Amino acid sequence: MPKQKKEKIILDRVDFFYGRRQVLCGIKAAFYSNTLTAITGPSGQGKSTLLGLLNGMWNEVPNTHCSGDIQILLGGQWISPLRKEISLSHLRRKVAMIFQEPNPLPMSIGRNMAFPLKLSGIRDKRLVEEKVRTALEQAFLWEEVKDRLEDSALNLSGGQKQRLCIARALILEPEILLCDEPTSSLDAKAARIIEALLVSLKNHCTLLVVSHYLDQVRRIGDRVMILENEGLTNGAGLSA
Amino acid sequence: MIRGFAEKTIACLSWALALSLCLSVTVLLSYLLIKGLPSLGTELVFGKADPLNVLLGRERVFDGIFPAAVGTLSLVFLSTLIALPLGICSGIYLSEYATPGMKKAVGGLFDVLAGIPSIVVGLYGFSVSIFLHHHFSERLGPCLLISALSLGVLVLPYIVRSSQSALEELPAHIRCTATALGATRLQNLVYVLLPNALSGIGSGVILAIGRCAEDTAVILLTGVVATAGLPSSLFAQYEALPFYIYYISNQYTNPAELSNGYGACLVLLGICSVLFMVARGMQKRLFHWALYSR
Repeated sequence: MPKQKKEKIILDRVDFFYGRRQVLCGIKAAFYSNTLTAITGPSGQGKSTLLGLLNGMWNEVPNTHCSGDIQILLGGQWISPLRKEISLSHLRRKVAMIFQEPNPLPMSIGRNMAFPLKLSGIRDKRLVEEKVRTALEQAFLWEEVKDRLEDSALNLSGGQKQRLCIARALILEPEILLCDEPTSSLDAKAARIIEALLVSLKNHCTLLVVSHYLDQVRRIGDRVMILENEGLTNGAGLSA
Repeated sequence: MIRGFAEKTIACLSWALALSLCLSVTVLLSYLLIKGLPSLGTELVFGKADPLNVLLGRERVFDGIFPAAVGTLSLVFLSTLIALPLGICSGIYLSEYATPGMKKAVGGLFDVLAGIPSIVVGLYGFSVSIFLHHHFSERLGPCLLISALSLGVLVLPYIVRSSQSALEELPAHIRCTATALGATRLQNLVYVLLPNALSGIGSGVILAIGRCAEDTAVILLTGVVATAGLPSSLFAQYEALPFYIYYISNQYTNPAELSNGYGACLVLLGICSVLFMVARGMQKRLFHWALYSR
């Protein structure tokens, strides 16, 4: 399949099975650099599964099978996660994921932020502090937590936790950010802040956001795609 | 109406059983205190020897329970040292790496091990010591090390099961978080899963400590004696409080000796309580250090 200039992710005839149950069938799609693509559709159609294919999280689920081709442009090179052309650890650092439920680890805010750097082997204290600050600023959270980095992350509000999770994902400068219903567990005010944050991140990375809320996908998505009946189609009339 | 009556009956029954359990423990402890308190003192622990000289190693104790207390502490420490790494590693294997078939097979074996009577484990330890005596060195035989190894085998299932359960019961979002951030399996285990499972693992360790401190059947066959003094080496025979309580209750010739036995029970309970508190304290500190220190 010829790759166009701004394409970032290409899916070509991707099938996915949980055991014998097929969830995705012949998915063909392309996602473009520095855009926010909103993916919506009825529950249980495989939206979260689709995100999980892109960062290899589907490998953690037993008795699953994926076929077809997925190509992702990382560091200027096209790689295929399905053909194991990249280690899962490296893939997940470059294709980060935000979950529906904010999931800070039961550690201090500072340790939560430094954790991905520790996993990557980055231990230089000054560098770590610099990256932590930058990521928290990008996530609109620095001013709120700068004086309490040693407090437990579990004491933050729901919206703050989700922004912390986004900041933590951003600290390794991922090229792609996958968001699986990032605002569904938050109140309206906190959700709006997250939406503004995600839109602001287009300058830094490519975003795929799964959401059930049509008004939200219209507000934030440069493009909207609908996943239903095992297929992915453009949401005509839904894009911003 | 019948449902309401049934619920009230269950609630009352639960209350009554819990209360009777608390009452039983209270009665037992009170009985021990009444019988043992009069004998508690330096004479029970150090006999006729000077306590300071004993602690400085200048004098031996012949008629006190100090050597038995030290023997018990040594036993607990050694057997926990043997069982802890093996148990935690086995728990990690069962939780994180074993296939469903292996989990069933290996888990089943540990369940069988848990069900083996302690006297059988003691007999096995005795057989091993005889084998070593005949085939390696006449100086080898029932000793502190053999007892510690046997007790380690006895308490291994507690630590294995508590480690496995603690890891398996961690919420999915904690498991996925580090993985999604690019952690390898080992990193996830070391930095996230084990620190979060410390509480559950600690419970298993505390159970193991209690079992090591109180078991008599195993040490009866693997090295404990009535009079050996302080354990001089891993290959020496030793004294222990459970054995002291056992033979005093069988061999006492006057009420004062029996009272000493009750006093030794209180000392053993005290040692166990202190060990539990130390284990809990270390667990909390370790948890806090692992997750919150920068």
